[in-house]
Amino acid sequence: MRRFCTACVAFIMLSLLMQGCGFKDIDKRFFVVAAGIDRTSNADKPYRITLRLAIPSPKAEPGASKSQLESIDTATIAEGVRLLKGHVDKEIDFGHCKVIVLGESLVQSDYVEALTWMIRRRDIQSIATVAVGKPSAEDVMNANPPSERYPGNSLFLSFGTEGTDSPFTLQMFLFDLERRYTERGLDPFLPVIKRDHMTYMISKVAFLDKQKVKLTLSNEETQMYNQLSTQFKKSSIMATYKGKPIVALLTGIHRSYRIIEQNGQAVIRMKVRLRCILEQAPRGLYNSDWRQIEKAFSDQYSTKAETMLDKIRNTGVDPFGFGLRYRAMHRGSDATWNRWVKLYPNAKFEVRTSVKIDGTGLIK
Amino acid sequence: MLHRITTLFAEAKDLNTHRIHNREFTLEVAYIGSLVDESKVSDYILVPFTKEEQSFKTILETNPSFKKIEDPARWAGNLLRGFVLVKLENAIYMLDAARVIRNQNPIAEVESSVQGPQTALSEDLIDSMNLIRSRYPSAELKIEEGTVGTLSMTRMLLLYDQRRVDPTLLANIRNRLKEVTHEMIGAVGELEKELSSPRRALFPTMIITERPDRVARALSQGKLVLLLHGSMFALILPANFFDFMHAMEDKYESLWMTNFLIALRYLSILLTTTLPALYISVVSYNPELFRVQLAFSIAGSRSAVPYPSFIEVFLMLFLIEALIEASARLPRYVGSTATTVGGLILGQAAQQAGLVSSIMIIVTSVVAISNFVVPIASMSYAIRFLKYPLIVLSIFFGIMGVAFGLFIYIVYLCQLRSFGKPYFRFLGNITKKEGDIGQVNAR
Amino acid sequence: MNRYVMYNFVMVSLLNLMLFVPNILFQYRYHGAVSSLIAAAVIGPLFGIVFIRTITKYPGKGVPEILNENYPRWVTVPAFLFFALMWFSAASITVDAYAVLINRFFNPDANVLVILGVMCVICLYAATRSTLSMLFIMEIMLLLNVPLIVMLLVKAGGSDQMNWDAIRTASNYVQSMPKLAPLAAATFIFTGYLNLSIYNRVLPPNYKFKRGYLLPVFGIGVLATTYFIPIGLHGIDGVSSYLYVWSATSDSLAMEYGFIERVLFVFLILYLNLTLIYTASGWHQAMEMIKSCFPKYKPSIDEHPVPRSNYVIVSVFAVITVAALYLLNEKHLTEFTSYWLIIRMFSEYGLVIWIVVHTLLRRGAA
Repeated sequence: MRRFCTACVAFIMLSLLMQGCGFKDIDKRFFVVAAGIDRTSNADKPYRITLRLAIPSPKAEPGASKSQLESIDTATIAEGVRLLKGHVDKEIDFGHCKVIVLGESLVQSDYVEALTWMIRRRDIQSIATVAVGKPSAEDVMNANPPSERYPGNSLFLSFGTEGTDSPFTLQMFLFDLERRYTERGLDPFLPVIKRDHMTYMISKVAFLDKQKVKLTLSNEETQMYNQLSTQFKKSSIMATYKGKPIVALLTGIHRSYRIIEQNGQAVIRMKVRLRCILEQAPRGLYNSDWRQIEKAFSDQYSTKAETMLDKIRNTGVDPFGFGLRYRAMHRGSDATWNRWVKLYPNAKFEVRTSVKIDGTGLIK
Repeated sequence: MLHRITTLFAEAKDLNTHRIHNREFTLEVAYIGSLVDESKVSDYILVPFTKEEQSFKTILETNPSFKKIEDPARWAGNLLRGFVLVKLENAIYMLDAARVIRNQNPIAEVESSVQGPQTALSEDLIDSMNLIRSRYPSAELKIEEGTVGTLSMTRMLLLYDQRRVDPTLLANIRNRLKEVTHEMIGAVGELEKELSSPRRALFPTMIITERPDRVARALSQGKLVLLLHGSMFALILPANFFDFMHAMEDKYESLWMTNFLIALRYLSILLTTTLPALYISVVSYNPELFRVQLAFSIAGSRSAVPYPSFIEVFLMLFLIEALIEASARLPRYVGSTATTVGGLILGQAAQQAGLVSSIMIIVTSVVAISNFVVPIASMSYAIRFLKYPLIVLSIFFGIMGVAFGLFIYIVYLCQLRSFGKPYFRFLGNITKKEGDIGQVNAR
Repeated sequence: MNRYVMYNFVMVSLLNLMLFVPNILFQYRYHGAVSSLIAAAVIGPLFGIVFIRTITKYPGKGVPEILNENYPRWVTVPAFLFFALMWFSAASITVDAYAVLINRFFNPDANVLVILGVMCVICLYAATRSTLSMLFIMEIMLLLNVPLIVMLLVKAGGSDQMNWDAIRTASNYVQSMPKLAPLAAATFIFTGYLNLSIYNRVLPPNYKFKRGYLLPVFGIGVLATTYFIPIGLHGIDGVSSYLYVWSATSDSLAMEYGFIERVLFVFLILYLNLTLIYTASGWHQAMEMIKSCFPKYKPSIDEHPVPRSNYVIVSVFAVITVAALYLLNEKHLTEFTSYWLIIRMFSEYGLVIWIVVHTLLRRGAA
């Protein structure tokens, strides 16, 4: 009996001690499924924060997703999130925040503060996807795709390999952004999301330096960048052969490059080996000489790649990580890096492509 | 003698005392009518005595069924165990004529098996010994008799293979048996509680079994077996945790499936102990642990529930424990009613009424089902309790609390000893040449 | 039993993350971390194998018994107290650091001292068990956790986010000379063998140390993983900005098809187990060292019930641990740890040399 009483007293003491130790039921929490950060023109309140909050429902069927949008203008991001808590009836939880959209206005001025905030918070996952929202993050957050099964799902599935595998969609994780922000010789890129009525359109990539966006590629260039940097396979290449466009689907891609210093100039020799199957082409190609088609593909691909690489170099950013490769190949010291800083603006790209056609599809 | 016996006993109607005469002798017979087989009394004593085909004195001296008893202090005890006392010319003999009421043809029900032996041990020691002897026909089998319980004086047999048993273990158990001072020992479970070294042990350190094949195997491994009169279960000791997780069936069925089943059992005990606590910690502390979909569906189904998660858990666990207890205690034909009603409440109504979330119902049923996967009932009971401390820890510390609790359980298991043998340890391959850790201690 | 020696080694080497070893290494990544790693990979296993081979010549005896039999008390008692302090502080730093980690990632609203208090009570319970039980606990916990930890490390190494250029860049800084702090940090990975100074009591009399090559192989594997994987995932320039670099690293891995999506939580729970067992083991050894200071004490490896002195000594440890976190903040803890690692290295090698020289002299005399 005495033992029992002691146990009871201990239990009550423990419970008193535990007051307010974070016990909060799931239905008292509001999950942020996507967050958007924009820059406003107001100097006092430079940030606009938009949060997409999920309204949970026991049924998960297409079109059944419900969510709530909250938005606020604020002086600092952290304070803005605190203030938003006053707008809603439940605790805001970032634990399931998978997508963070930075407004175009923000990345064009300075994204560092937002990045630091995200990386410092413990509850935002390091594998959250970061993207640029065009024309603004708020606008992107407003889209509400009708096929969505649960809130935020379609935006999240657009990236990564779980849902669609679009060659125009690159994925940037939060920790990767942080790495590319800090690393000398490797610069960040971000996918660009546009709202198209009620759905999203992600088909471009933006390159940033350590402070702001420098260049946005076109759709076709984005696909090529994706092929060259991540060796993305589920994509296509295009060429004109005898005045007619031919499109081929890649079945294999291999890329390697070396950096050579010639007469004080850096030459980046890139070798690309592609294997493909023709997808859209005039009839009767089967009996013609494939080597000529392959050559047309190779030459045109090389030219386009060199143009794209030059374009990227001219803006001074290095999303490929040529600088890091240079550091990896040379003695570890600051002098190496300083030399590369001088070399890169005049670097020359030589792309050699060899395309091999595996087949012509189901018909000749 | 008769006079002395009648003064020894309280007035009892079934105490039979007779003084009979024939031409030669006067015979005094005393026995307790309800304990003995009357036909045996007449076959062995009354008929030969009255027929006088042979001198009854020579019968007493030659027939080994009659044993001479010198000490009057043992009279009462022997009478109470179903012996008949016979006095002839100042010599007193006793005859075992006990009639034991016991279950007929016992079938293994607690530890049933599909293709293994179907008989269970009997409540009568002789029948049980018959079963064990026939399964363990070894001349090395040693049987010691004794009694436990100062009042019940329950007859008990201690069995072991004298060549395989560990002598220190044997001495240890003999000592322990001497220390049992309880008045009544009715079943092996009670004896087990008396013998186990920390009295409040969370886990059973001896196996209670009804299967003679398990007993025989234990004997072959040098273990000790205790049989108790009037209980159809045997006590095997020492035991380690892993013994409890193996059904005898595992030896009889296909190798791969049984290996899979053993793994399944360990997974089941993990689930049954942690799942309610994990539910609380995921719902109330770290909803980001699982996938978004799961989080939303839990949140959605919980939105109708008015109170915090742990009340929900306690409610459902109370229901399921009560249901299990009710169906175990009720007579068999009423039992099905209880399960049906309970199943209906648990299955649908509670959730539709908004008392619990639908995920919680799944959690409850997983907890209940996976608890019964453990082959030995005493371990199943022990594990049934383990979830509650974890729930309390998870209310205060979330997932970390569950991890803390599991760590404590493992430490507890590792420091537990079953009669000096480690209870929970990974054995691995211990070769005689290399020796085992802790051997230095033995010197 | 070879495997029990290995368990100690594996446990300590995997635990290096909790003692801020990676942080110290990353701090020196441009100034001698890589060469320190190489130096440690030579020194660590060397001392380890020599020590194990020597101490197993004294079956059933720990360091306290060996020294007590040959040296006067006024030499041994201060030495034991010092070693007890070393073990105790390592264990306490670990548990303090982990309590802070829980507070950061699991229950940000909870009071860190309460969490630490509970962890200390758990370790108090575990550390007061007998030496034999301690090894059983260690074995079971490692068998349950290490496969998952290794799986996690392999998954991290095989992640497609891994940037090998950054790793090559980091290894290019090999030419700068080793420094004391990173060397002390890196040799910590090999320090598990020292646990034998108590656990040698339970090893069987005819024990022979075998498969010594596992020490350098496993140690170098852990060393390389600890240092290079975070660099590959966070970049050589950015890696040092993380306070809990391995937590960040595990958070960078996605289990797209796993039951638990955030690898971070799996990682934290695995390391919780490792931390608890390390702390319990460390306190147990410190306790045994202190008990050996009493002249009447006779070591016993499997005592039931637990003697009261165990509870008294370990309670003092627990109180000091909680007080330390109350008085210090994270930054102090890290600084203190880097000093501790250096002192540890010298005292550890001092002890090894002492025992080895003692054995050689005795053999020469005989």
